[in-house]
Amino acid sequence: MIKFWLEKTWVQYLLLTTIVGCIVFYWAYGFQSPYEFQWNVLFEYNTTYDKHFGLELLHGLLTTITISLISAALALLLGIFFGLARLSGFKPLYWLATAYVEFFRNTPLLIQLFFWYYAVPQLLPAGVRDWLYFDIDMTWLGMNIAFEFWCATVGLAVYTGSYMAEVIRAGLQSIPKGLLEAAYSSGLNYLQVLMKIILPIAFRNIIPPLGSEFLNNLKNSSLALVVGVAELAWTSQDVEALTFKGFEAACAASVLYLVTCLFTSAVMNAINRRLQVSNGMARGNLMDRCLDCCLAPAEKGYRNVARTLRRAERKRKLKRRAQAEVGLVPIWQVYVEKSFVLLLVVLKILFILTLLFILFKVIVALWGYNWSGVWENVRVLTLFRFPAPASETIYWGLGGLVLTLLMSIVVLAVSFPIGLMVGLGRASENQLFRIPCTAYIELIRGNPLIMVIFWSYFFIGVVRGGNYLDAITSATIAMTIFNAAYIAEIVRAGIQNLPKGQFEAAYSTGLNYWQTMRKVVLPQSLKQMLPAIVGQSVAMIKDTSLAYIIGATELTLAAQIIINRRTDLLFEIYTVIALLYFLMCYSLSLWARRLEHRLSPEQVRLEM
Amino acid sequence: MKATRIAVLAALVVMLAASLAYAGPTYDRVMKDKACRVGLMANSKPAGFIDEKGDWIGFDVDIATELCRRLGVQMQKVQVNNKTRVTMVQTGQIDMSLANMTHKRERDKSIDFSITYFFDGQKFLVRKGTASSWQDLVGKKIASMQGTTSELNVRALLKELGDPDADKNVISYQNEAECFQALKMGRVAAWSTDSTLLIGYAAEAPGEFELIGDFFSNEPYGVGVPEDDSAWRDAINFALQDMWMDGTYKKIYDKWYGPESKWAFPLTDEIELWP
Repeated sequence: MIKFWLEKTWVQYLLLTTIVGCIVFYWAYGFQSPYEFQWNVLFEYNTTYDKHFGLELLHGLLTTITISLISAALALLLGIFFGLARLSGFKPLYWLATAYVEFFRNTPLLIQLFFWYYAVPQLLPAGVRDWLYFDIDMTWLGMNIAFEFWCATVGLAVYTGSYMAEVIRAGLQSIPKGLLEAAYSSGLNYLQVLMKIILPIAFRNIIPPLGSEFLNNLKNSSLALVVGVAELAWTSQDVEALTFKGFEAACAASVLYLVTCLFTSAVMNAINRRLQVSNGMARGNLMDRCLDCCLAPAEKGYRNVARTLRRAERKRKLKRRAQAEVGLVPIWQVYVEKSFVLLLVVLKILFILTLLFILFKVIVALWGYNWSGVWENVRVLTLFRFPAPASETIYWGLGGLVLTLLMSIVVLAVSFPIGLMVGLGRASENQLFRIPCTAYIELIRGNPLIMVIFWSYFFIGVVRGGNYLDAITSATIAMTIFNAAYIAEIVRAGIQNLPKGQFEAAYSTGLNYWQTMRKVVLPQSLKQMLPAIVGQSVAMIKDTSLAYIIGATELTLAAQIIINRRTDLLFEIYTVIALLYFLMCYSLSLWARRLEHRLSPEQVRLEM
Repeated sequence: MKATRIAVLAALVVMLAASLAYAGPTYDRVMKDKACRVGLMANSKPAGFIDEKGDWIGFDVDIATELCRRLGVQMQKVQVNNKTRVTMVQTGQIDMSLANMTHKRERDKSIDFSITYFFDGQKFLVRKGTASSWQDLVGKKIASMQGTTSELNVRALLKELGDPDADKNVISYQNEAECFQALKMGRVAAWSTDSTLLIGYAAEAPGEFELIGDFFSNEPYGVGVPEDDSAWRDAINFALQDMWMDGTYKKIYDKWYGPESKWAFPLTDEIELWP
């Protein structure tokens, strides 16, 4: 009976509206809290501080967008270079690229930013350092663009670049070997294969994940707050600190992040649709048309330029053919070719020498580390026990590396079932489940983790009316909520990748929804999703470092406490915690890759 | 199926009950439970920090211990930082906070304060020999902590001294350790906050850093207590005054800030005493 009614769409909508109505009604009339809401703090000029906080937040958004655009452009350059280098047959270059990609993908961005900001300038000569510190100050559109800004931007670019390199490598490698063999055997040369076969196909494989890396970069830019860049998350904190109206400020910041992210992903979806050759995906909504309008002049220009170049090339070829028939190849051409080969060899040798020099320097530096100082602090780093009875109740007062691991395990264990349910809900056809699940996923994925942590730490207590959670618990909750949304997306993708016939076949044999899911759909899609889920877990382990910002004594904070006490151990401690994170994440990444390989063994390594 | 439903319902009821649990006036609750949750800093020398052995010590910690002893309750230490020390009191997560907190009118709108238990003021910390007066710092980068009064004070001072770029020359970090690191690494010419904090950090590297100039703001520290709980505030005030009168306060003060201590800082004022 209930089932019959629930299948009617209008009943689903009616129920949803009722629930939303109840929540709004409760919020408006039945809700009591010791916190006084003052939304006007966002819209009115504050005379105490001589500032308009709403405008300050918008200004923060501008900084966020600027940082993410510049860093994304830099990251793309890095990504192209290292992505191609990962495919290179020249081994030292391949090793360098692999080291870059693996290191930066498997250590937390927070640690990297600290390293760029505090440690790297110490390695530079004093003159360069002073130039960085004092001479690159400028103000652009009211933004203070100084060392902090560039440090955050470059740090982000290097981090995102390692992800983009992987995306580009995977896109290039995804081309089936048979296709390449066919192209070569039909007489195309390398350049032609690259231009006509590899790039057009790879482009379609690369652009969508590249777009999501861009979006991640936008969200990650919120971490610039640790080096004092006045971006959106920082500004919301500033409003909180000055007016104690953090709830309102965080709401505004979240909405701004959400709008920016949704807009960006709408643009990216339009681009993705445009790139599809034609698989029946309907195009023609507003975004698509806007994109077409924007791209039309570029397209026209590109066609004209390409036509001119093509004609010139054809003319040159005709000339060359005529020369060849007469048998005249000018001698200088031979020399040019020979010297080019020689130059390449010299460059390779130089490259190897530089690499060896850097390696030598690094080894010397590591040798010179004060390892006994590190050893004294190892207990704090791994097992940091906070001497507070009140906080000992959480995970028996453990901290440091152990706390990081415990938090990761709890978050993974709890977020997986939630993510599975939400993912199923999002893939379901019942609006009653689909709409709330979609809203949850988009809301969380449209915000950086740091905002989710602020929410759970500062503001859930406010709304619940007093009972605040401690830093560790609220960080764990925030990360669970955050991670679950990402797992839900992976689950949904896994379900939607299955052929539609499977559902119909399962239903027609008389299985109900849950039986279909449990016996037919989930076993297959979970197998497909496994590498992605392990990859997400790596991201999650790195994200535990953000608990530092609200003061949970995990590995990063333990390290900061030690550095606070022993500033002479700056490099040593950063190296050690980077290595610890790296070991955790890299072993998981390796496992993910092994899984992926085992589940789809037909891929081959493409060399360029 | 039925069991699941019952379990879900039970969980819902428990959650509701927990959120409706009545947080009574602090005084009654503390006296009933014989336990007081005190918010303390853990990264601020010498007010509250963790030493090499992993013990949580400091001036504020000692004062809090003494307060709790006099109130006859057991102390539960809770870590706070400059961002959470107001909200945690406001929402009843801690019963008092001794966390380098200046008694400010803006803060008094959200929570209440005890009488002033410590007199501090703001100064600049610089690397030795790089500056000798405020004027030397005009146009230089200054570190401060986000969300503190010292951040606002230092901006105002620089503007007064004629620095047109005061807003962007003050870089706001998330915590003290970051400020000190920035000073140590030469990113900023000075770090400005309450003098005791600066002394604490300067003592880390004896002879390398110095405090310059006069105080440019008064920073009277008060114990943060929940709003509108007169009985609780009185109890704390009386205990503080008793401590002053029988000399315990001076003993604790000398232990941390006395002339022979690592963080020598003269006691410049007397706490308010009611007959």
